[in-house]
Amino acid sequence: MRAGISELAARLRNREISSVELTKAYIDAIEKLNPTLNIYVYLTFDTALKAAEKADQMLDEGDAPLICGIPMALKDNICTDGLPTTCCSRILKGFKPYYDATVWEKLKKQGAVLLGKANMDEFAMGNTSETSCYGAPLNPRNTNYVTGGSSGGSAAAVCANLAVYSLGSDTGGSIRLPASFCGVVGLKPTYGAVSRYGLIAYGSSLDQIGPLTNSVKDAAIVFDAIKGGDRRDQTSVDHDYGSSLAECLERDVKGMRIGVAEEFFDGINPEIKSSIDEAIKLFERNGAIIENISLPALKLALPVYYIIACAEASSNLGRYDGIRYGHRASSYTSIDDMITKTRSEGFGDEVKRRIMLGTYVLSSGYYDAYYKKACLIREEINREFDAVFEKCDVLIAPTAPNTAFPLNYKGASPVEMYLADICTVPVNIAGIPAISIPCGEDSRGLPIGMQIIGRRFGEATVLQAAHFYEQSAGKVIDDYEGGAVI
Amino acid sequence: MNYEIVCGIETHIELATKTKIFCGCTTEFGGEPNTHCCPVCTGQPGSLPILNQKVVEYAVKAGLALNCKINTRSHMDRKNYVYPDLPKAYQISQYDEPLCEKGYIELDSGKRIGITRIHIEEDAGKLVHENGYTYIDYNRSGVPLIEIVSEPDISSAEEAKEYAEKLQLTMRYIGISDCKMQEGSMRCDVNLSLRKPGDTKFGVRTEIKNINSLSFIQKAIVAEAERQADILEAGGTIVQQTMRYDEKTDSVAPMRDKENSDDYRYFPDPDILRFSIDEEKVEEIRASLPELPFDKLKRYMNVLGLPEATAKLIFRYRKVAEFFQGALAEGASVKNAANLIVGAIFSNMDTEEEKELFDIRISAAQFAALVKLADEKKINIGVAQGTLQKMLESGKPAEEFIKPEDLAGISDETLERLCREAIDANPRAADDVRSGKDKAINVMFGYIMKKTGGKADIRKAEALLRKLIGS
Amino acid sequence: MAISKTDIEKLAWLVRLSFSDEELERFTAEFDEIIAFADTINQSIEGGTEQIRSVGARMVSFDELRSDEVAPSLSNEKILSNVEGYNGFFSLERSRK
Repeated sequence: MRAGISELAARLRNREISSVELTKAYIDAIEKLNPTLNIYVYLTFDTALKAAEKADQMLDEGDAPLICGIPMALKDNICTDGLPTTCCSRILKGFKPYYDATVWEKLKKQGAVLLGKANMDEFAMGNTSETSCYGAPLNPRNTNYVTGGSSGGSAAAVCANLAVYSLGSDTGGSIRLPASFCGVVGLKPTYGAVSRYGLIAYGSSLDQIGPLTNSVKDAAIVFDAIKGGDRRDQTSVDHDYGSSLAECLERDVKGMRIGVAEEFFDGINPEIKSSIDEAIKLFERNGAIIENISLPALKLALPVYYIIACAEASSNLGRYDGIRYGHRASSYTSIDDMITKTRSEGFGDEVKRRIMLGTYVLSSGYYDAYYKKACLIREEINREFDAVFEKCDVLIAPTAPNTAFPLNYKGASPVEMYLADICTVPVNIAGIPAISIPCGEDSRGLPIGMQIIGRRFGEATVLQAAHFYEQSAGKVIDDYEGGAVI
Repeated sequence: MNYEIVCGIETHIELATKTKIFCGCTTEFGGEPNTHCCPVCTGQPGSLPILNQKVVEYAVKAGLALNCKINTRSHMDRKNYVYPDLPKAYQISQYDEPLCEKGYIELDSGKRIGITRIHIEEDAGKLVHENGYTYIDYNRSGVPLIEIVSEPDISSAEEAKEYAEKLQLTMRYIGISDCKMQEGSMRCDVNLSLRKPGDTKFGVRTEIKNINSLSFIQKAIVAEAERQADILEAGGTIVQQTMRYDEKTDSVAPMRDKENSDDYRYFPDPDILRFSIDEEKVEEIRASLPELPFDKLKRYMNVLGLPEATAKLIFRYRKVAEFFQGALAEGASVKNAANLIVGAIFSNMDTEEEKELFDIRISAAQFAALVKLADEKKINIGVAQGTLQKMLESGKPAEEFIKPEDLAGISDETLERLCREAIDANPRAADDVRSGKDKAINVMFGYIMKKTGGKADIRKAEALLRKLIGS
Repeated sequence: MAISKTDIEKLAWLVRLSFSDEELERFTAEFDEIIAFADTINQSIEGGTEQIRSVGARMVSFDELRSDEVAPSLSNEKILSNVEGYNGFFSLERSRK
């Protein structure tokens, strides 16, 4: 297995390597691989080297945080002061925020070294990263396949070792799905555990930032570094996790109650199902108690998710009017015409579809039947999860019904594409945490992801269960050959 | 054919908080364009709103002052529409859970105009159109507003004006807004329809937007009622639309934009948590309210016994009323205090604004000290007025301007001597008084006042003169 | 539930989007499928009529709201850093060829 954050941190501290050297190794690898893989859409090598120098100083002075000096990537929807942040949309081309997202502010303070902004589906709307205005990133494990989305660049950067870790955002599976497709670890924290300030909104009641890493331990380390309440995000919560989550990963699963809901396995590819079954058996062999449970409202989770996310998106994306930032149409007959042309030129088809769906479900005459109904079912889904977590510590489910799609997968209608989110969206609807970890490969050698889902602010248990699996299952997928040589 | 006016008013009032409703930027008026701005109030991607506590407090105050029920749980909604002055393309407002509901304003006639609801929301930026360009300043974007919606209980232009006037006065009084219509910190939209007397069904209504003075409210209603009546008389139908009142031509005309076709797609703002305000807090806010203006007016007339005209001049301005009451608390008499405020202090204040500000250099206690001298007849009203002017100019207390001999007044012996002198110097006037021409006594008053510098007690002098003349 | 091209155009106007004839054709067909998908929520579970509110059950009390203290605004330069401004204003030509 590749060196994790704590190992690199140790090597940085005993001067085996400096942050500048480490950063240069990643820069070299990115220069070599990025032209093909299209993982980064904006490179920040100059600032990275400066940050690395500063990190080396911090390390010299001692007492530096674990992530100090370690090169990483940010999804392109996380605002970075003075550096382009475009959500991979034409409408935000050239946009440079003059403020940092809270997560980036926190990481910067801890000496993080930003290599660049990672590719993604336009405005995080998609699950293949193909809606990016910069073209799709390629899956490093097999370049004929997509990375998954929407945080495809963030997952692929970690997979290809073009970053030690990255941050993504997850509205309906956008961290977990690409993590699963690329064979890395992706954590979607509890809604509110991490500040959303500076995350360019898609579906505000569902969006959450989280880490993509090579190991569960790294995910815990990065989550430790970014979590916490923020006075600039009223929906954030300063939850007391007791201590560093990375330091209490070791836990015997004996007596751990693991729920398995049949609804999560409806229509799942048999290869995936058998991988997850194997994993469940591993837990059972080690003393976990497997509970078969039922979450009937889950059947409606997918349309509920699309209705709520798109309703919020239709409103969140209204601000892109060409007046204050981003693209502005070059010729027009009136201000309304300018706004309409700007938006019609600036947004891609999937974004337009979702804005239109969101507008429709909120419009007078349809509000009750769609938006309001979806919110009521959301409450029902929450109640079902609450009941389940009365008797289970975590749930295990597949991350996606299939492994990675081939690139430019033709013939799939938008709705067919939405089905890939079926296992991930319930978690966002309920605002609970979940991790996706690799648990095998399909017959084509593509990674399979397993989700471990916890109760609100139950990240510790989720990470412990995932760490246990990672340590006990042995090698479940091949290592990616390539990337930075350290 | 006569028609009955059915009218409701929506009033937007800018709240006098220090910061905007969702960010820490100042609400101060003016400033260079786009200098009271941040990512939140210019709708930058990734920014999030944080609700200002003071806005909620002020709205609750308004609700309590207008006899509303306060909803202890409330939330913010998004109202979606596209306009360049609205940076997020939605206004954060309240739709189905406003802070206050079901209040009223009582008119002088005793009729109550219902208040349907009061909710909080954000203001938009300002557009300037010039030379083919539109320039945008977001300094006002995010300034907190309350919208006060009345029931369609208003049935005449006069009632509408009185409603708006009382609303304005009350809001100023409780200190939540300066309510300056000409500057836009209070704006009214009037909904109006006509129906035949006795009809219970409402007619089709129009909305006259953004009226910016009390007298225009009255005029706009008269003009729109006439316009609608003409249409109805000619057998036409009223079209539901948004109108604008043109003060130059004193007429109402439809607005041309597409506002009439909007669908605002309200939904709860996911960025702002639902909030609660418990009964205890509501009571705390209620306790912080001053005596409300129309309660005060009644008290001035019924308890203090002020004449209506004087009472109305004083109660209107909260600071004046406080000054007046402060003087009473220091022992000044109601009548002299009121008359000196209205007669002397107001003579230096030409505008409503000055009276509203009531920025004077003496304290209520200093004022009371002077009033008491007059109360005790140590000086007469004329001296009191003159002294008051000097006090106002210098900020110094009455002692600085009144000599001990003034305070001692004119002794009885001196006054008698002066009265004799006055009669001797004006024998003809004395004769006239004797023969019943009473006004002639003024000639002798003039003599005495001149000699005493106005300090003689005129009633005593009159009695003495009459005795000496023998009239 | 079939949606017409006119319905699509009306919705599009609300959010300032426009479609070419060809796009509109394709979009209308896709949208029909998307609406049918969204409509599956109406095929089961009878929803109540309660009022819905902002996210989840979390609620803050009055005392937790932001206190009214002025924070420094940003410079005009920063506010206008992503556009060409004019005398401190955001500037917009009303029509352009």
